[in-house]
Amino acid sequence: MSIKLQDVNYIYGIGTGQEKHALKNINLEINDGEFIGLAGHTGSGKSTLVQLLNGLIRASSGTIYYNGQNIYDKLYNMRSLRSKVGLVFQYPEHQLFETTVVNDVQFGPKNLGLPQLEIELRSFKALKMVGIGDDLLDVSPFALSGGQKRRVAIAGILAMKPEVLVLDEPVAGLDPAGRDEILGLLKKLHNENNITVILVSHSMEDIAKYVDRMLVMNRGEIVLDGKPSKIFCFEKELEKIGLGVPETVKVIHRLQDAGANIIGEPITTEESSEAIYRWLV
Amino acid sequence: MLRDITIGQYYQAESVIHRLDPRVKVIATFIYIISLFCFNQLSGYIIAAFFFYCIVKLSKVPFKFITRGIKPIIFMLIFTAALNLLWTSGEHVLIQYGFITITSEGVKKMVFMALRLIFLIIGSSLMTLTTTPNQLTDAIENLFKPLNKLKVPVHELAMMMSIALRFIPILVEETDKIMKAQLARGADFESGNIIQRVKNMIPIFIPLFVSAARRASDLALAMDARCYHGGEGRTKMKPLKYKRQDILAYFVMFCYICVIVVTGKILPV
Repeated sequence: MSIKLQDVNYIYGIGTGQEKHALKNINLEINDGEFIGLAGHTGSGKSTLVQLLNGLIRASSGTIYYNGQNIYDKLYNMRSLRSKVGLVFQYPEHQLFETTVVNDVQFGPKNLGLPQLEIELRSFKALKMVGIGDDLLDVSPFALSGGQKRRVAIAGILAMKPEVLVLDEPVAGLDPAGRDEILGLLKKLHNENNITVILVSHSMEDIAKYVDRMLVMNRGEIVLDGKPSKIFCFEKELEKIGLGVPETVKVIHRLQDAGANIIGEPITTEESSEAIYRWLV
Repeated sequence: MLRDITIGQYYQAESVIHRLDPRVKVIATFIYIISLFCFNQLSGYIIAAFFFYCIVKLSKVPFKFITRGIKPIIFMLIFTAALNLLWTSGEHVLIQYGFITITSEGVKKMVFMALRLIFLIIGSSLMTLTTTPNQLTDAIENLFKPLNKLKVPVHELAMMMSIALRFIPILVEETDKIMKAQLARGADFESGNIIQRVKNMIPIFIPLFVSAARRASDLALAMDARCYHGGEGRTKMKPLKYKRQDILAYFVMFCYICVIVVTGKILPV
């Protein structure tokens, strides 16, 4: 079970005189159960890439395989792909429309044509997963706070039981507590349900803390691919494309430059403080 | 998906036509449209077409863009053409079949009417292709200024128009985004009968209205924060000023209308 992209190109505005080559020869394989962070500057093609993954837009050239099947095959069921690859857009709270929270979450499973009992079961479960209490189920989604709205919107995708969950900047505009809550939820989903998670973000701190594999995009190309600890070694290159590394990694790098004998490649705050402590003692 | 909408689309290029004062372009387009109704023979259409061709060449806008404007009115075009063809009475009957009578006068009228409509559309689309929406509203505000004396709130109307135009691409993009978000949740906008389809649109319309209201209230707040208080005493960053090329353009339009009127009077065909 994997997603495989082969020589994928995407060009916006063909024939308008303002063509934009958003993705250039992307070759990528995403394996089952990975937790991937996709980083890149604004306009680097991250959002275009994730929309290709569930067939919302069609690549200008190249092929995409989902579990070995070509999704551009005429006989391929695109709608089933969309239920398997759940895509949470940026500011997903802007897509809420139903009269009550629970109705909104049921929209996705209903579209899948499931029996009513299954729909209800899935939506209650999804709402519970994102931490929306029973007292909010029959409230209008427009009456909720920003963070609650976002969690309801994510529940709307989770209720479809995707095999792969793609989130485009899921924590943009949230306060630190809300951010940790959502990212923690993703980690939990990944660990307990073995869902493949693709997290699009330009916050290197978030990515460093949660993902196993990191992709860095620049101008429509994947320039770096690997473990976060390996990728953060390219501090200069990352800064050149407007990304940088987490502050803790910067501190470690400066210390190492100054001759400190710090072992390993710590990335999170805890790991870094421990490494520095070990070096000092 | 929806990004292909071309209403009021501006084509970026460096040309004399782009540089003209927007007022000139508005008035010239107006004159051109009126001129289309000043003649009723082939020679007039040839002159109008040739003149238009020259302007398009000067504007550096590809012809593909100009003819694109005809697409949305194709149904109306066929409808008027058919009406003219069937309901024009004349002496030279070409085909008679039941209640359908087609006369040569009808054919002529159909062709001319269709040509007129096409010229009208592509003429005005050339204006919007070479003028930014902001310039356009500036021009309209300026041209309608005399109505201020009749207590018509010209500035406010122009401001509303420019805000509306400014928001078209934003709302189109927003619709595109919401549509994709709902598609990702398994929504289906393509199957079902017409009532079902309208119902399927609800998941797009409600978020769209909510976001439009949110944007409007944000904009109102931002304008208020910058002490916007209407048109009185408001100055422009780029005031409209006629230059030599604009005077020349008016002169060209004057010559054009003279030629059209004269040929309309003297040439029989």
